[in-house]
Amino acid sequence: MTTRLIDESLFEDVEDVEDIENVENRAFDDGHAPRLAGARCSGCGTVVFPRQDSCPRCADGAMSTRVLPVSGRVWSWTLQAFPPKPPYRPPTGGHQPYLVGYVDLGEVLVEALLAVPRADIRIGLPVRLTTVPAYWDEDGTEVVTFAFHPERDGER
Amino acid sequence: MSRSDDVYVVGCGMHPFGRDESVTGMDMAERAVREALADAGVAWEDIGYAAGGSDVSGKPDTLVGRLGLTGVPFVNVQNGCATGASTVLAVANALRAGEATLGLAVGFDKHERGAFHVSAARYGLGDWYAETGMMLTTQFFALKTQRYLYEHGLSERALAMVAARAFRNGAHHPLAWRRKPLTEREILDSAEVSPPLTQYMFCSPGQGAAALVLALGDRAFDLCERPVKLASLAFRTRRFGSFEVFSPWLPPGPHHSPSVDAADAAFRTAEVRPTDVQVAQLQDTDSGSELIHLAETGLCGHGEQEELLAGGATDPTGRIPVNTDGGCLAGGEPVGASGLRQFHEVVRQLQGRAPGVQVPGAPRVGFTHVYGAPGISACSVLTI
Repeated sequence: MTTRLIDESLFEDVEDVEDIENVENRAFDDGHAPRLAGARCSGCGTVVFPRQDSCPRCADGAMSTRVLPVSGRVWSWTLQAFPPKPPYRPPTGGHQPYLVGYVDLGEVLVEALLAVPRADIRIGLPVRLTTVPAYWDEDGTEVVTFAFHPERDGER
Repeated sequence: MSRSDDVYVVGCGMHPFGRDESVTGMDMAERAVREALADAGVAWEDIGYAAGGSDVSGKPDTLVGRLGLTGVPFVNVQNGCATGASTVLAVANALRAGEATLGLAVGFDKHERGAFHVSAARYGLGDWYAETGMMLTTQFFALKTQRYLYEHGLSERALAMVAARAFRNGAHHPLAWRRKPLTEREILDSAEVSPPLTQYMFCSPGQGAAALVLALGDRAFDLCERPVKLASLAFRTRRFGSFEVFSPWLPPGPHHSPSVDAADAAFRTAEVRPTDVQVAQLQDTDSGSELIHLAETGLCGHGEQEELLAGGATDPTGRIPVNTDGGCLAGGEPVGASGLRQFHEVVRQLQGRAPGVQVPGAPRVGFTHVYGAPGISACSVLTI
């Protein structure tokens, strides 16, 4: 089965991730872990996601790619109970309620799908970057996007 | 500033909010305008400056084809949830600048059922954001509310109390859409949408129209026995660090809202304090938003809301009556009309002729607040 990332610009293929065996990696077969890629302003240090060419805070700095931390904590969460209207693309089998939230990565909070059991979800929960299937292309390619799942013991 | 520089509301009109397949947005706007003109005792020919707003239901200036081709300057406004306030601001500034002594502001909309349609590109976002199911206004309100309850130690009961009060007030208001009172339990037990918010804690896109006639200085007192002074009207966009709808990322907190800036500016200009307000309108697209806006506008402290609500302080008979017409929760949210509905209700309250429940004790200071995408807020102080 072939897979592709939903949008290459959101990710950076990092070869030297320190603990690569802990990063679930459904997008690639070569062992390289996709990491979220934002941008950092050289002037004020603001980190944004996704990348953008200008700083939303100051007019002085230059923006350069910033690979974001993989671990953080749930900052806020909710459930999407009803199926969103298009352009939402439901997974095969149709819409199932799913969790979304902001994950506090320290330098930036990132909005993401949360691959966390409903019973376990709470503000402050330690979570870690992963990828999950978003939908399938017409040719059968699995399209994956980023998400966060509960941090397992020993991952930090 | 002398009275001659002040702008007053001298007439208001409103088409009932809700759903009515027999009328278009323009039909409702025409009716609201004619009602406002009649209320002020003036004719369309007397209006020297006009501004109108609609999000999806047509070009407001084409109303001149129905009202009369007088050559009047007519500005169109499309400013999201601040559309109504922006029309009032445009007219008030024109009057103060000497363009005219009598002006008209009108807002209307008629939306489809269900959540608003979104376009990632229109907000400068990649398609992935909407395709993965993160681009929903309901989610944003839930995420903001969830965090707010956590930070300030509030419970879901506070959310239910907001909605229960809205439907209680709406039940007495002839122009409201939702006219059936609901208990806190019914609200908490209604369908889960995005926790902590349930179905009855959200307003629905609906339809409606509202209009105001504004007059400058002495002209207002010639026309109206009890003109309501627009003591201030402040409009602000977001600054860095605000937590807004459709944000794939946020900077680390604290997060500042444009509502704080707009309310602060409105109170300063009017030279009144939040504690002076005797009847208020707050944007309540959902229960959580009203809770947050109570504190962001300065009407109470962060975390005090639950106690205030439980004690009845925000009821029409309370210390700080909020959304006496049921707000967006009972009225629905026709985007272009919603802000002018707020003015309509507060003006009528201050004049002692509320269409629904009248705040007792002849209130003299009113307040309005709107907030919306992509991080805008407008607040006004109205006095009599």
